[in-house]
Amino acid sequence: MTVSQRKLPMPEFIRKIRIPAIVVLLVAATVSMGQSDDGLGPISRSAARESEGEFHFVRLAYSSNRFASQGGRRAAWQTDWPDAEQHFLKGVNRLTTVEAAENGRVLIPLDADIFDYPWIYAVEVGHWYLNHQEATRMRDYLLRGGFLMVDDFHGTWEWTSFKASMDKVFPDRPIVDIPQDDEAFHVLYDLDHRIQIPSRMFIYSGQTWERDGVTPHWRGIYDDEGRLMVAINFNMDIGDAWEHADWPDYPENMTALAYRFGINYLIYAMTH
Amino acid sequence: MFEFFFKYSLPDYARSDLVFTAEWPVWLLLLIATVAVAGLSVVLWRHRGGATTGQLLSVWTLQLVMLVLVAVLLLQPALKTEQLKPGENTVALVVDNSGSMAYGEGPRRFDVALESLAAAISSGSTGLTAQRYTISDVAEPVETFISTEPDGTSTSIADSLIDIIDSARSQSLAAVILASDGIDTAGGISASQLADVAAFGVPIHTIGVGRDRIPEDLELTQLVTPTKALPGSTVTARIAIRHDREGEARVRVYDGDELLATEAVQLAANTTTTTAKVNLDLRDAGYHRLQFSVDGVDTEPELRNNVRSTLVKVEEQQFRVLYFEGEPRWEYKFMRRAMDPDGDIRLVSLLRVSPNKFYRQGLESAEQLEAGFPATRDELFAYDALIIGSVEAASLSDQQQQVIGDFVSERGGSLLMLAGPNGLGNGGWGQSAIADLLPSRLPPSSVDSFVRTKAAVQLTPQGADTEMLRLAATVEENRTAWASLPEVADYQATGNMKPAAMTLLNVVTETGSQPLLITQPYGRGHVYVLASGGTWRWQMSSPLEDQSHETFWRQFMRALVASAPQGISLTADSSQGATEVQLRAEFRDDAFRPVDGIRVSAVVSHEGGDSYTLDLLPSQDDAAVHVADAPLSETGTWYVEAIAEHDGAAIHVARTSVYSESEQAEYFNIRRNSALLRRLSDATGGQYFEPADLGALPDLLRYSNAGITEQILRPVWDAPVLFLLLFVVKFGEWLLRRRWRTI
Repeated sequence: MTVSQRKLPMPEFIRKIRIPAIVVLLVAATVSMGQSDDGLGPISRSAARESEGEFHFVRLAYSSNRFASQGGRRAAWQTDWPDAEQHFLKGVNRLTTVEAAENGRVLIPLDADIFDYPWIYAVEVGHWYLNHQEATRMRDYLLRGGFLMVDDFHGTWEWTSFKASMDKVFPDRPIVDIPQDDEAFHVLYDLDHRIQIPSRMFIYSGQTWERDGVTPHWRGIYDDEGRLMVAINFNMDIGDAWEHADWPDYPENMTALAYRFGINYLIYAMTH
Repeated sequence: MFEFFFKYSLPDYARSDLVFTAEWPVWLLLLIATVAVAGLSVVLWRHRGGATTGQLLSVWTLQLVMLVLVAVLLLQPALKTEQLKPGENTVALVVDNSGSMAYGEGPRRFDVALESLAAAISSGSTGLTAQRYTISDVAEPVETFISTEPDGTSTSIADSLIDIIDSARSQSLAAVILASDGIDTAGGISASQLADVAAFGVPIHTIGVGRDRIPEDLELTQLVTPTKALPGSTVTARIAIRHDREGEARVRVYDGDELLATEAVQLAANTTTTTAKVNLDLRDAGYHRLQFSVDGVDTEPELRNNVRSTLVKVEEQQFRVLYFEGEPRWEYKFMRRAMDPDGDIRLVSLLRVSPNKFYRQGLESAEQLEAGFPATRDELFAYDALIIGSVEAASLSDQQQQVIGDFVSERGGSLLMLAGPNGLGNGGWGQSAIADLLPSRLPPSSVDSFVRTKAAVQLTPQGADTEMLRLAATVEENRTAWASLPEVADYQATGNMKPAAMTLLNVVTETGSQPLLITQPYGRGHVYVLASGGTWRWQMSSPLEDQSHETFWRQFMRALVASAPQGISLTADSSQGATEVQLRAEFRDDAFRPVDGIRVSAVVSHEGGDSYTLDLLPSQDDAAVHVADAPLSETGTWYVEAIAEHDGAAIHVARTSVYSESEQAEYFNIRRNSALLRRLSDATGGQYFEPADLGALPDLLRYSNAGITEQILRPVWDAPVLFLLLFVVKFGEWLLRRRWRTI
C-alpha cells in the first residue's frame, strides 16, 4: 500500500519573518537564562567550574534593594567587576604563597557551591538586599567557617541599608571596630597606619570620601571563638583601588594599601 | 599377644638391652659355626640325587636357619633392664589444691585427683616410698591428703615443682605424679621454667582432671584498656570472652555505680574465644574503676569469672603537635579550627605565607620557632607529632630531615604527611632523606600526582577497626557516617605501598579507588600519609551541627600523640588476676637519650595503706629502662611511684597505678589446661594420663631412670617364638623334601 504525502503550504507572513523571529527568540532566551533565576545578569554561572587553584575569588551576586540605581546600569554587586579581582589575584599570586585561581567567580547566596569557597567578597553592600532565606544561608556559611569581606559603601544611609540585611544574618552579633592588635592587621603585613582608600572619583574631585562617610572604619563581626567572620570596610573603596591599579593617575600608595588589606583578610581567613 | 610369643611386653623390650648370658669363647663359636656349615653342605651335596641347584639351595638355607636358632638358644639370650631398687626410692604425689580444683561435675576435681593418686600408688609402685605434697601458690609437704581442701588462691605450678624436686632430691626421688587441672595463675609455664624443671632429670607424670570444654560457662578472659586517657576522650576497651557454645553475650560496663555502656557480642560457633571492642567516653578527670560484666546464664558453674575490673586514670596532659605548612590553604585553617577547642593538644604551626615570611600560630612563647623549622633533636623532640603539609622537601636542610628521621625512629614521635600541590611526591619527599620512613614509595616530583577533583572517601576494613576513625558509636553507624561524608576537595597518588603499610581509608576516583590514609610503624614511632588536603569540605559542606570533621581531626591527633612515648614514664604490666606486675620505668633527657648514672627505686602502695619499696634494675635491652617484678598480694588499687636518684638526690619521678584482682585469679580460666600438663610431662620424660586410664603408670614408675636403680637379667631363650620358629623351619623342610622326592 502506498501512502502519499502532501506538503502543507506555509503562510506567506510566517515565511517572511521566520529567520528574524528565530534570532529574536535565541537572544531572548540567552538574556532570560542570564537574568531570570540566579540574578547573575549576563554572567554564566557555569563559566568557570574548573578548580585550578586553592583560593578562588568569589564575588557575591546579591539582589539589590529598592533604592539601588536602575535603568541600564550594571547591578550593584558587579561594581569593579572583573578588573578588581583580576588585578587582586595577580597580586596574591605574586606576593604570597597562596595558590590562587587566575579568574574570579560569581555566586548567588543560595548557590549550593558557595560552601566550596570559604572566602567571598561583596561590594556596594549599601545596596544589597538579603531575604530571610539568603540571610540564613549566609549565617550558615559564616558559622561553618566561611569569611565575608564587604567593601565600597559610604555614609549613614548606606550603612543603615547594609546593616538591615546584615542584622538578618546575625541578629545577635554586634558589629565592632576591629582592634588595632587583631591578627587581621598583622598576619602578613603590619597595617598599623591605615588611611581612607577612595574611589577613582578622588582623582577628579580630590575628595577621599563619599556622601557623609568622611571617616573610614574597619569593622567586623566575630564568632564565639573570637575569630573574625565578616570584615567590613566602611567609607572606603578597596575594590576601586584594585580595579584601577593600572591607572597611572590612581595613587600607588593607596593601591598598595588596598592590596595589603585584601591579602591580610585572605591570609587571615585561611589561617583562623 | 606379643607378650605370649616373646615372654615379655613390648615396652619391656623397649626399655631393655638384649644380651647373651652363655660365656662361650668367640673362637669356639666361630669354629663350631664353620664346621656346622661345612658339614651341612657336604652331607647335602652327597645326597643331592636328582635335585636341582635351586632345590638344594632352599633346603640348605632352611637347615642353616635351624642351626642359627639352635645357636641362639645355646647362647642363652636375656633382657638386661634397669629398674628402681625396691625400698630405696621415693615418689612425690602432688595434688593441686588451688581454688579451681573445687569445681567439678559430680565429684570435685580435687576428689578425682586424690582418687587417681591413690590408684597410681596402690596398683604398681611397690617398693616406692610416697611423699605427699600440695601445691597452689607454693608447695607444701603433707603427711596425708585427708584434711586438705582446695582453697588456694593462686597456682604457680612450675615454681612449686622446682621446690618439691629440689627438696626431695636427697631422698632419691624417682618420679613425680602431679594431679591437677593445669590452671596456672602465674601466667603459665615459660620455656625457661620448663627447662629448669627438666634439668632435674626427674620424670613428671601428670594426671589431668576436669574438662577442657565447659559449654555452660561464659568467661571474660581478657580485658585491655589504656591506663591513661585524656578528659573527654574515647577509650576503647578490648575484651575476650571464652565460650564453648554459640550465642550472644551482653557486656555491661560500669564506672562505679554508673552504667557506662552495653555491648552485644555474637559468640561464633567455630571458635572458643570471641574478642570485641567497647568504646567508652570518660569525661571527668580522676581515677575511674571500670567494671566489665558479661551477663551470665543460669547454669554457669562460676559467675565470678564473668566480671573483671580495671583502672583508668583520666588526667589533663598537654601534648604538642608541630604543623609545618608551605602555603596558606583551607585544610590548614579548618584543621586549626577543629583543634582549637582541644585543650590537651597544642597545635603549633609554622606557615609560609609569602616567600619571605613564616607565620606562627599556637605558640607557647614568642621565641618558639623564631628561627624556623627545628634543626636540633632537643627542639623537635619537644613535640609528640609532626605534620608536614604542602611544602617541598628542599625547604628543609639535610640535617633537619635527619632530625625528622630520628624523631620518628628514636623519639617515637608520629609523622603525618599531607597531600598538596607541593606535598608528598610533588614536593620531592619520595627522594628525600625521610623517604624510608614513609609507608609508600611516592611518585617522583617530575610527575604531578596532585588532583584537584572532588572524590568520595571509603573506610577500609582495617580503618573500620581503628578507633581513630570512629565517627559513631557502633561499627555499623560508623560505616554509615563515613559513607555519608561529603567528598574531599582533592587527592594525591601515594605510589606503591610498602610491605608493612596498612590502608585505613581509600578515595574513590574516576579510575577506581586508591589509598587515602596509609600508615606504617617505623622504629619507635609511626608514619601516616593522608593523601588529601581537602578534608575541610567535611566541615563546610556539612550541616553546622555535624561534628564529623572536628571528631576526625581530634581523634586522629590524639592517636598521633598517644602512640608517642614520653621521656619519663612508668608502666605496670600484668595479666588479669596475676599476683605480680612488671614495673618498667623509663628515664630519658630532652633529647630522648638515657639519663646516665641513676638508681631507680619504686614505692608500691595499696589503697588500704600497705606499702613497700623495691629497687628496679637496668634493662639489658635499653639503657633508659629499669625493670622489676612487683608482687600485688591484695585485690584493689595499687599506686606505684618510681624515683630516679642521682648522687642520692631524686631527679625524676614517674607514677602509675594498677588495679589488681590477685585474689580472684582462681575463678578465671577454669577449663582444664591439659596442654600445659602434657608439655610438662613431655619435657621431663614423663607421661600425661587421664584419670580413667592410669594402667600404664605403674610400669613407668618401676622403670624410672631417676633415683637408685639396679640391673636385672630376664632370660628369653625359652620364649615360645624361638621354638615355634624351629618347628616351622623343620616342618617346612619336610614338606619340600616330600614334594620333590629328590633329596
